[in-house]
Amino acid sequence: MSTTTAIKQEALPVTSEAAAIEINNLVVSYGDKRAVDGLSLSVPIGSVYGFLGPNGAGKTTTIKTLLGFRQPNGGSAKVLGYDIVTQSLALRARVGYVSEVNSMYDYLTIPQMADFCRATSLRWDQSAVDRYLKMFGLPLKARVKQLSKGMKSQLAFSLAMGSQPDLLILDEPTSGLDPIARHDLLNQLVGEVAAGGTTVFFSSHILSEVEAVADWVGIINAGKLVISSELDQLKSSQKVLKLIYAEAPPPAEIDALRALPGAVRVDQEGRSVRITVHGDVNTLSQLVQARPYALRDAEIVDLNLEDIFLEYMKEGGNGR
Amino acid sequence: MVAKELIEARWKLFGGALLATLIATLTDFTYSNTREMLNSAAASQQPGSIRDYMVQMTSSFDTFIWNSWFSLSNNGGLVMVVLAVILGAGLIAGEVSKGSIFLLLSKPLSRERVLLTKYVVSAAILFAVVLFGSLVLLLVAALQGHPQNTLGMLISDLLFWFALLFALGLATLFSVIFSDVLRPLALALVVLLLVALPGFVPGWQALSLPSYWTSLPAYLGQSFPLKEFAVALVAAALPLAAAVLLFRKQQY
Repeated sequence: MSTTTAIKQEALPVTSEAAAIEINNLVVSYGDKRAVDGLSLSVPIGSVYGFLGPNGAGKTTTIKTLLGFRQPNGGSAKVLGYDIVTQSLALRARVGYVSEVNSMYDYLTIPQMADFCRATSLRWDQSAVDRYLKMFGLPLKARVKQLSKGMKSQLAFSLAMGSQPDLLILDEPTSGLDPIARHDLLNQLVGEVAAGGTTVFFSSHILSEVEAVADWVGIINAGKLVISSELDQLKSSQKVLKLIYAEAPPPAEIDALRALPGAVRVDQEGRSVRITVHGDVNTLSQLVQARPYALRDAEIVDLNLEDIFLEYMKEGGNGR
Repeated sequence: MVAKELIEARWKLFGGALLATLIATLTDFTYSNTREMLNSAAASQQPGSIRDYMVQMTSSFDTFIWNSWFSLSNNGGLVMVVLAVILGAGLIAGEVSKGSIFLLLSKPLSRERVLLTKYVVSAAILFAVVLFGSLVLLLVAALQGHPQNTLGMLISDLLFWFALLFALGLATLFSVIFSDVLRPLALALVVLLLVALPGFVPGWQALSLPSYWTSLPAYLGQSFPLKEFAVALVAAALPLAAAVLLFRKQQY
């Protein structure tokens, strides 16, 4: 155990966390601008939680606040049961973090970086680090400055795992990586880490990678939570009903479709109408087909995460 | 973390030690040249105050060494002060500008511990360089047949180190405030110049911090500079305390 750590492992306060992360009405401001604006969120223990949002939505600010880099201006949050303001040290002893910029110390070699992380961590599993370094095939004697961006991400991830975290927070971990490096990092590692019981909370705006590995997603926009849900449930609760009419329906009919239960959005292009449905799409389909306008075709289409994300962003943009 | 700090600062340490060796050696060797210059025709044309200063400075080998090595307005002192400012300016701002501050702050270390560890390593580097330079100075002086008062040198080194700690603390304070290394460096040098200014005003010497950072009687073994130590200690502690308080609140 390191002599430089500020707290001893046995001194860690015992918590009875119900969720890995519990955020209540969090507000974080940069001057007059609210980067996080009343965010409330719960990340279940053991989940792989994809934290989504467009650039500038407040993802990184939220993570920085959870880790104590910034102080909240309002609200509260707990990570692994620890208050982010008053128990930040204990919290950080159990959390692994890989930052967006992956800035490590260029002048250190990989073993020196590992020594630094070991000396500043409360728990350390060198065999886990060695295993990940070997898995990635990183050149062990190289200095950090000699590594590519992808290799630096892999190193950051390996070192974060050395502290045996109960929660792994990754802020845009695959930003700037090529598809192969991204695949390696996410599919192999997040899968393996999550299988070991570690909660993974990672922010991203690359939706396909989130969909590939996450079992929970939260979407944030303009500092506010848009939705937080289990991914399968989110996908099953949202469908699109694609309709092709014999003749273009009049505006009154489009308004009538909008009023149907579960229809959250209706888009028309000539004879083609697209209804985004939250809830029971089959019942809505039957209602549509019972209406007095002839349909050539009606098809229920599953939404992928990107579609869902865009729908929520459009709804947000429409003030809904 | 100490190892990482030492590796990071290794070139500054080597550079500082090299410069200290060079200046210490040159200082020993330039005494006779300076005296000869004083007797030359060119020196007689200098304004009276400069000539008086040069005469006082070269009145003995010991006085010359003290003036050249420990005076903040001469080579030895200036180089050490600049080294202290360079070390302090990069302490936090260097981490912020490279983005590694997030790695550092994500560890279960209090901010006080982070800052103080970095500060202590830099302070130790400065002490090592000052001590090393003095050893070279003593060695060369002895070889020239001018053995120096070792205890006086050690006491003066300690006092001078406190001066460097003020410069280090000041640069550290600005390093916490700004996110680039250049501004802390420039501002610390400006403030150091400002605190030295009263020393140039007749009757205001007591208000000049540099007047407490060096003591000729202490160097010559004539007295112990207790008052000077007290003032230098308080002066060194103040910017450091401010830096710790600010760093605790700083948002990243």
